[in-house]
Amino acid sequence: MNFRNIFRYWRTMLTVAEVTLRHQLNDSFILFAILVQPLIIAVLALFMLKDTAANAAMFVVVGSGLTGLWSSLLFISGNSINAERWQGTLESLVGVPTPFDVIVFGKNLANVVQSLLSMIVAYLLAALFFGYSLHMDQPLLFFLSLFLSVFAFISFGLVIAPIFVMYREVQQWQNAMEYPVYILAGFLFPVLLLPGWTTPISYILPPYWAAVALHGTSTASAPLEQTLFAWAMMVLLSIIFLFIASRLFKIMLYKARVDATLDVQ
Amino acid sequence: MNAIEVKNLQRVYRAHIGVIKRSIKEVMAVEDISFEIKSGELFGLLGPNGAGKTTTVKMLATLLIPTKGTATILGYDVVKDANEVRKHIGFIFGGERGLYWRLSGIDNLRYFASLYSVEPEVSKKRIPYLLEMVGLKDRGNERVEGYSRGMKQRLHVARTLLHDPEILFLDEPTIGLDPVGARDFRLVIRNLQSEQKTILLTTHYMFEADSLCQRVAVIDKGIIVALDSPSELKKHVADLSVIEIETFGTSDEIVERLRALSFVDSLHIEEQDQRQMLLIQTARGAEAVPDVMNSLNGTRVGRVIVREPTLEDAYVRLVGGHV
Repeated sequence: MNFRNIFRYWRTMLTVAEVTLRHQLNDSFILFAILVQPLIIAVLALFMLKDTAANAAMFVVVGSGLTGLWSSLLFISGNSINAERWQGTLESLVGVPTPFDVIVFGKNLANVVQSLLSMIVAYLLAALFFGYSLHMDQPLLFFLSLFLSVFAFISFGLVIAPIFVMYREVQQWQNAMEYPVYILAGFLFPVLLLPGWTTPISYILPPYWAAVALHGTSTASAPLEQTLFAWAMMVLLSIIFLFIASRLFKIMLYKARVDATLDVQ
Repeated sequence: MNAIEVKNLQRVYRAHIGVIKRSIKEVMAVEDISFEIKSGELFGLLGPNGAGKTTTVKMLATLLIPTKGTATILGYDVVKDANEVRKHIGFIFGGERGLYWRLSGIDNLRYFASLYSVEPEVSKKRIPYLLEMVGLKDRGNERVEGYSRGMKQRLHVARTLLHDPEILFLDEPTIGLDPVGARDFRLVIRNLQSEQKTILLTTHYMFEADSLCQRVAVIDKGIIVALDSPSELKKHVADLSVIEIETFGTSDEIVERLRALSFVDSLHIEEQDQRQMLLIQTARGAEAVPDVMNSLNGTRVGRVIVREPTLEDAYVRLVGGHV
């Protein structure tokens, strides 16, 4: 792939993300997944933490934002290919010269970016309604962590979407996959509280390393080495998941063209 | 020069059936078809429902893998060089689906222009031009969900032309359109033809194929039963006349009795509410009318016309009257 193609695909991906954002603005389920549900979680957690230190509230703000990110990834990105199939646009997307994974990357970018709204809403809720004086310990490192987290979440979503298309039996467990990741990734409480055997599962989840980096830089003044290690893990896992996703997309598209499943019959 | 070459193309669909005892059911959609389309030609593919028209188009548009045979577009193989093929083709499948209804017409076009890697400065000029060409200039900013079926079809045409492809696949593009919408759409196709686009058009409407296509292939049960110009195809029925009889409440028994008459070459019925239009092809022409009327035996009859055969009659004869 030459530089010209990379630039072209980057531009296409941004357009896909922008148009996807516009398209999803009026979808009430999406608003529920990225705004209402994280808000409910934030309210519950903030009530439980009432009268505790402000940095615990910051933990909740970041944690509920991460729940919004994961829910959005699981339900919106996970269903994105099937949704295109049901609305009859999948053939039009597969029949263009742009690689299909570039298109899905753009769609996931839109989903992840819009779900960051849940973090902003949780922040406003804690500050305005619960009266916490919130401050970030390492704002620069936090935003760099956020940037890498977005990338890690997108890569993870790129693996989930083709798996849901190819293996319907896996998609049937979609609802059951939401809360275990909240717990295993340490969104709302540290994974140290979990049994030791769950730790390796957490380590292979990009959301876990996102939570380590974001919680560490926002509330705990984590040592730089811990943040850098979390970044390295996010980059490493993103590369691995991107590689797996690109193979899965090739297999999925070939299988769909053989089985005639690009459109609903 | 041939823009499209199809050699012994075959496509079998496999479906898993049963819950406990699972088995695979095979359906032969396209059995063995071969044809070539010259550069700049408007080529028609006619056939009844389930004949294999859409399957053929989807294989050529790289959306289905053929079970056997080969097809090339501008020399590129539709399986091995799918990505190269996609740069040179545009396709429309009949119906309203395939667009983003919650986006405006312009946003839909902007989105697909980007997917076809059309440079932004080019698409800025091309989108208004195409909207004007398909008659949507004043409605481009509205959401697609508010468009009529015909408007959605025309937006599909604009989408297909964004990257100015040399080859177009139009699969039943006028299906479901009102007569005015269909006529406007045919004008669009004629304009594309005048721009020397190579077009493969599938349609149910014979007059559409007759008036637009330079050559027509009649496909039935996955094989091509005739391939020629419309005027040559009409010669298949040059020796016949067509008796059109409007009836009300024709029974299956009467239809069978008519089919059994020695001078009836084929019988096709068009149903509309309580009315049935019997189309009888016969070499005896008007002389056959009294015998036919006798066989109708008490059925209420409206108007009776004897006329020259059309391309549709040739088509009915070629596919054995089972359309």
